[in-house]
Amino acid sequence: MNNITVHCTVNHKPVTVETAPNKRLLDVLREDLHLTSVKEGCSEGECGACTVIFNGEPVTSCCVLAGQAEGADIVTLEGISPDGTPDAVQRAFMESGAVQCGFCTPGMILTAEALLAKNADPTEEEVKLAMSGNLCRCTGYTKIIEAVLLAAKMRREEARA
Amino acid sequence: MKDYAVLAKDHVKVDALEKVLGTTKFAADYQMPGMLYGGVFRSTVPHAIVKKLNLEKARALPGVACVLDHTAIPGKNRFGIIFKDEPCLVDDKVRRYGDAIAVVAAETPDLVQDALELIEAEYEELEAISTFERAMEEDSPKVHGDTNINVKKHLEFGNVDEAWAKCDVIVENTYSTHILSHMFIEPDAGLAYVDEQGVMNVIVSTQNAHYDRNEVAAMLGVPQNRVRVKQATTGGGFGGKLDISVQLHCALMAHYTKRPVKMVRSRTESTLVSSKRHPITMKCKTGATKDGKLVAVDCVMTCDAGAYSSYAPAVIGRAPVHIVGPYECPNVRCDAVFVYTNNPMCGAFRGFGVPQAAVCHEGQMNALARALHMNPLEIRRINAQKVGSVIPTGQKLTESVGFLDTLAQAQAKAAEVMPEALARLDKE
Repeated sequence: MNNITVHCTVNHKPVTVETAPNKRLLDVLREDLHLTSVKEGCSEGECGACTVIFNGEPVTSCCVLAGQAEGADIVTLEGISPDGTPDAVQRAFMESGAVQCGFCTPGMILTAEALLAKNADPTEEEVKLAMSGNLCRCTGYTKIIEAVLLAAKMRREEARA
Repeated sequence: MKDYAVLAKDHVKVDALEKVLGTTKFAADYQMPGMLYGGVFRSTVPHAIVKKLNLEKARALPGVACVLDHTAIPGKNRFGIIFKDEPCLVDDKVRRYGDAIAVVAAETPDLVQDALELIEAEYEELEAISTFERAMEEDSPKVHGDTNINVKKHLEFGNVDEAWAKCDVIVENTYSTHILSHMFIEPDAGLAYVDEQGVMNVIVSTQNAHYDRNEVAAMLGVPQNRVRVKQATTGGGFGGKLDISVQLHCALMAHYTKRPVKMVRSRTESTLVSSKRHPITMKCKTGATKDGKLVAVDCVMTCDAGAYSSYAPAVIGRAPVHIVGPYECPNVRCDAVFVYTNNPMCGAFRGFGVPQAAVCHEGQMNALARALHMNPLEIRRINAQKVGSVIPTGQKLTESVGFLDTLAQAQAKAAEVMPEALARLDKE
């Protein structure tokens, strides 16, 4: 099997990766680019732990082949706060107690980021619908939903200030 | 309430920042120079003797560092949290679908898969036991030793046989709970390496590092001070990461290759062989006076605990003592029998048998309320345990019995959010 070359943007930087064509985007991110915030939970697009923002949409990277990333703009959790300062969504997750074991957290935060980029003032129902592709086994979701609503509020206040 | 530094205050979890930044390292995120990847060849039958095992083709594959079966184990090939009945690698026979027969370490995960496909096993199949009833029959094949009974427990309090005469109403029902997987979101993973001092180090997703250390040391046949187990940040467990997962296999291959070996289970493999919640069948007879006061409970609990014991001896201790739930009852008997079968192994799972018992005692309280035309909340209130109650183990409760307060608060909340349902209780 010959390697393929994929050109894309990862965390706001242009990237060229030479990789096997049967690799998943998840493998390229974790193994080739060492972006280990991207988690593998189920390998079949059910749990959302491997979520990345792909051309503005939350996408499960276990269901994307490396070649499909050609020309794409990809953001992982490492790209949200590269200097280590948590943004509003990350602060809201901390403050709301929405983080327990933390394995679903990267995917949860990225899905929330994608939602809030499009909808600055979502209703609780809209948050629930947007987050429905991300499973958490610890929290029971209440605090995660509260965190996303809090993040939206924090962002709106930041925008006004 | 007294003003405490931590209690009743909001605090940000100590590890929350690194978790929201994505910098936390879980077991699968560890990398080491020269690291190998490991995988397991598992049985595709539930009960069988392995007649032939051909590892040579896998061993000959370039890039494969080792292919090992039970003969490679330097120390003990039996482990388990209470009874040592589970093999690291199958020796005498396969006891469940998915039993580990051989392990492979290779340069890449793809090579591990290629090597696993080259391993050939020939089985002499034995009858698979898949129910409690068949396990208990005299002529059934025995999963371990000469009996399929794993553990038994008997609880006796008061005098149940004499108590029935004092009952105005008796309800008899059978409740069965189902097997359940924890489905922790992080599949089991770990990495083992031998350090410069010759100490075996295991970094693993686990709930039980001290126990893991004992088992790794016993398997390698070395003293405990030659093994160090470090718990990686663990992505959920709920009891399902108390048992051994990849620890022994990683350590065995690191011992042989003198190279770090990482194993990461797929969701399928994790679900196949991790422990499960015990499915318990409870045949229960409960008697009360016409005023709704409990007089006697007699319950027979039976359980298919699967191929290995895991935490069954602990679960069977908990479930019977909770058979009356948070209610006072002067006469209680419970007989519990857990058996070995060739089904998945059951173990610790949030509550250790207590949630199963709750299905029974709450069902019986509802059945009594219906038989007596009582409000189901009222029958719970009049039987509620409180400070001073004596429970079926003989223990007198001297403090902190929150049931009545909890019930009152639940009722108040129900009145707020589901008033129709609450009103229906009076009519039934």
